[in-house]
Amino acid sequence: MSVRVHPELRNQLMQFGIGDWNACYHCGTCTAMCPLSEEGFLFPRKKIRLMQMGLKNEIESSVEPWLCYYCGDCTSTCPRDANPGELMMSLRRYLTSIYDWTGLSKKFYTSEVWEIGSILLIAVLVVIAFLIGLPAMGYSFTTELTSQGGVKINSFAPIHIIEAFDWAMAIVVGGLLISNILRMYYKIIWKHGHTKVTFWVHVREFWRLVFNFSVQPKFGKCDDKRYWFSHWFLMSGYTIMFIVVVVFLPWFQTEKILPPWHLQRALGYYATFGLLFGLLVAITGRMRRKDVKFYFSHVSDWLFLVMLTLTVITGILIHIFRIYGMPYATYIFYIIHMAVLVPMILIEVPFSKWSHLAYRPFAVYFQHLKTHAVPRKTKINSIN
Amino acid sequence: MRSPSKTCIFFYNPQFSDFDPIDYAELIRYAMTFPNVSRIWKYHDFIWNEQNLTDKIEANGIDHLIVAGLLPGTVKTLFSKAMAIAGKDPANVILASFNDYYTGTTFDMDRLKSVLACLIAGLSYETVAIPDENPVNPATLVIGGGIAGIQASLEIAYSNNHVYLVEKTGTIGGKMATFDKTFPTLDCAACILTPKMVEVNQNPFINLMTYCEVQEVSGEAGNYSVRILMRARKVNVKTCIGCGTCTEKCPAQAPSEFDYGTSMRKAIYMPFPQAVPNKYMIDAESCIYLKTGKCRACVKVCPVPDCINLDEQDHEVTINVGNIIVATGFKPFDAKKMDQFGYGRLPNVLTSLEFERLLNASGPTGGNIHLRSQDKKGNWIFTEEAEKPEKVAIIHCVGSRDKNHNKYCSRVCCMYSLKFSHLILEKLPGAEIHEYFIDMRSFGKGYEEFYERILEEDVSIVRGKTAKVEERNGKLFLRGEDILKGEILENTVDMVILSIGLEAAEETRDLSRMLGIPRSEDGFFEEVHYNLDPTATSRGGIYLAGTCQGPKDIPDSVAQGSAAAARAIQSILKGKIYKDLISIPLETIEKRINKLTLVQLEEKHL
Repeated sequence: MSVRVHPELRNQLMQFGIGDWNACYHCGTCTAMCPLSEEGFLFPRKKIRLMQMGLKNEIESSVEPWLCYYCGDCTSTCPRDANPGELMMSLRRYLTSIYDWTGLSKKFYTSEVWEIGSILLIAVLVVIAFLIGLPAMGYSFTTELTSQGGVKINSFAPIHIIEAFDWAMAIVVGGLLISNILRMYYKIIWKHGHTKVTFWVHVREFWRLVFNFSVQPKFGKCDDKRYWFSHWFLMSGYTIMFIVVVVFLPWFQTEKILPPWHLQRALGYYATFGLLFGLLVAITGRMRRKDVKFYFSHVSDWLFLVMLTLTVITGILIHIFRIYGMPYATYIFYIIHMAVLVPMILIEVPFSKWSHLAYRPFAVYFQHLKTHAVPRKTKINSIN
Repeated sequence: MRSPSKTCIFFYNPQFSDFDPIDYAELIRYAMTFPNVSRIWKYHDFIWNEQNLTDKIEANGIDHLIVAGLLPGTVKTLFSKAMAIAGKDPANVILASFNDYYTGTTFDMDRLKSVLACLIAGLSYETVAIPDENPVNPATLVIGGGIAGIQASLEIAYSNNHVYLVEKTGTIGGKMATFDKTFPTLDCAACILTPKMVEVNQNPFINLMTYCEVQEVSGEAGNYSVRILMRARKVNVKTCIGCGTCTEKCPAQAPSEFDYGTSMRKAIYMPFPQAVPNKYMIDAESCIYLKTGKCRACVKVCPVPDCINLDEQDHEVTINVGNIIVATGFKPFDAKKMDQFGYGRLPNVLTSLEFERLLNASGPTGGNIHLRSQDKKGNWIFTEEAEKPEKVAIIHCVGSRDKNHNKYCSRVCCMYSLKFSHLILEKLPGAEIHEYFIDMRSFGKGYEEFYERILEEDVSIVRGKTAKVEERNGKLFLRGEDILKGEILENTVDMVILSIGLEAAEETRDLSRMLGIPRSEDGFFEEVHYNLDPTATSRGGIYLAGTCQGPKDIPDSVAQGSAAAARAIQSILKGKIYKDLISIPLETIEKRINKLTLVQLEEKHL
């Protein structure tokens, strides 16, 4: 099989992150220091080599970038200041843009104007929908309160319309994400002509996908377990909130004020604390820039954090204003909440930083598929 | 060269940066005093384009044009073209680049004026500013008694000129004396060095001053006055017979400097058996009498009356010399800074210098390789009863080629590591040796052949620097990546040797201030020209030899020692030495310019 070299790859990658990767002299310290690097799936040095040689296809078919959780051990011990940790991060951004068939991901990662512009555009559309669309359909603001003294939120944001919109958004985002994962599967597993993975292995290893999605055991292998916890807390809170909002919206967005220990409110509080805790760790970390992990921040990193924080804070405010019967404040913050949340999900989940929620567990799944791959019977093999 | 009739000066001071500390107003005032300077323009006084320049040249009838400032070369093409368009000789655009005369952050205004004055007169600064010559004091000071200093001293002494050899420690020989063998010839280091050391001691032209330090240097090239602190040995070098009775009776102990702490010595001691001078000395820090006022055991047993004088004090002497050769050597990298290798925590992780002593017959184990073991008190020591290592790992590039420590390559580590492999196999046949390297630098004469020889011996030489060393079940566990195989490499060994790099010696900083010679970024002394003048410094009469100028091996150090000596002898034979370039005052330059232009005028009339 011929190998195609892409010398421009290095410059392309420079758009996705910061690092003097050509400084690497291949001492192997980073790979040996890495607690996640394992036999058969060694990184970061091998990925630096691929990058230096411009082996684009090799990079696109590798799962290793997704196995790295950026503890920063490699960068802090690197004798050449080549910043291998940031290379892995940049490769993740690059791969996200490669898996994405629309080409939007590359635009969002390499151009701040595109990313921020699209977010603003969607936000404006959401605001217009609330201010003009819904009133046009006959739903209006009401200052009338429920018998419990709460805000009549469902008369402002009719539950069936919001739910329908939620499902529509979930289908669009899910569709994009699934198609991207299929492309990822094609690049990592299918494209390898000389090996194949049996159907039974696909089934047998499937539990890894679920397990890695829910627990992130690989992150736990990094030396600093605090980050695993804050990440897991944030992620579990977010997942709960997502499921509740998309699948159980009629149960969640009620006008009736339930007691705080009711599952509806308890889940909401758990998710809020999880998100706030995780965000606090990430934001203070990125501001202090003490850990290597948080030293280099791409625009997409900050956008993600800021938007998620805004979503959480406006969510909390809606909750407070609704319970204490402040209709206009509730409506305003509901609109802001949606104006942040919708672009965040539409842009970040399929095209940007948030796609890692799918790519990381799938990468682990694919990694195990790869280890169980068997040689495909070809003519060359039979000759041998 | 004829004196230009009508000269104009353009000051190129676009102030594109804040580091332009030149007082242009003063330079303009000075330039205006010359009769042949017709016009002066500052950067902001006119529009910088071809057309405008051509107009100016034509309007003012300019024949000669000086562009002065920081980086004037960047605009030279513009001026040359303008001159050509105006129909003048473009070769008459002369550049006065002040960058070349930039000394740190402050500009020597007189120097810039000198440069201008020379160019206005149509002369180049270099032809006018030839430094004056001083008469030379034929005595030479050599600072540092390592192999480079010894070589330089001997070379000068052989020319029947006097040398003061000042050494900080109690013996000359330096680092080379602690080595067992030298690469690639595997010569016994002591066998080739000690005859030279003895020669230094016996040569009537060499005044050996051990346990001394240079305190102050004043004067100029050809006549330096050097104040030297003579630290009290407390043993009379002239009368001590070196019998060793005092050492036997001395109750105080301290880690041996010569053995890099791998063995203990007494408070009254001789650095090593072949030390030159072969006399005892007292370490004031560990001596019980000097700390508590009680003991004097050495004085009681000494067979020579009044030989040991425990109350002797440090004193200073001042010597006058014409040339100074700096050969202060290097400092080994402190391996404790790289905690991942566990040096200082794990007893059997050694530095290369410690291992060198272990190999040496006069070392702590009598030249046999043993592991460090615990004595009854629990201290980790080297004894000949301890087990021998079966597996040894050698880690290259410790502290070198590492941006966290030293960026540069220390040059000698690859070769001495290969030498270790050979010597270990010689002493422990059947031992398993693993060398972990990043790039193998066997660059010298016979070095590559030596590498090939080691490759043929039973040594595993693996590409990939070890990332960390840990203790597991009393053994040393290494983890790294085998780069060529592309696999994680894990190994359990008995002993790890860290090939530590070379760093500028601690004294380098003080000496560079004292002598007024610059240091380069890496901390070593800076030579005048890397390729063509590697021994001279920017100060007249001061030369460099050995590793104080940069990491180098023994042959190079010896060669540079001889080269430095040649420079000193050159000035002694001539009887005169150039002063520093900076030392010429403006008046002298002006006088010389007048003289030179007069000569030119006379030539013209003839």
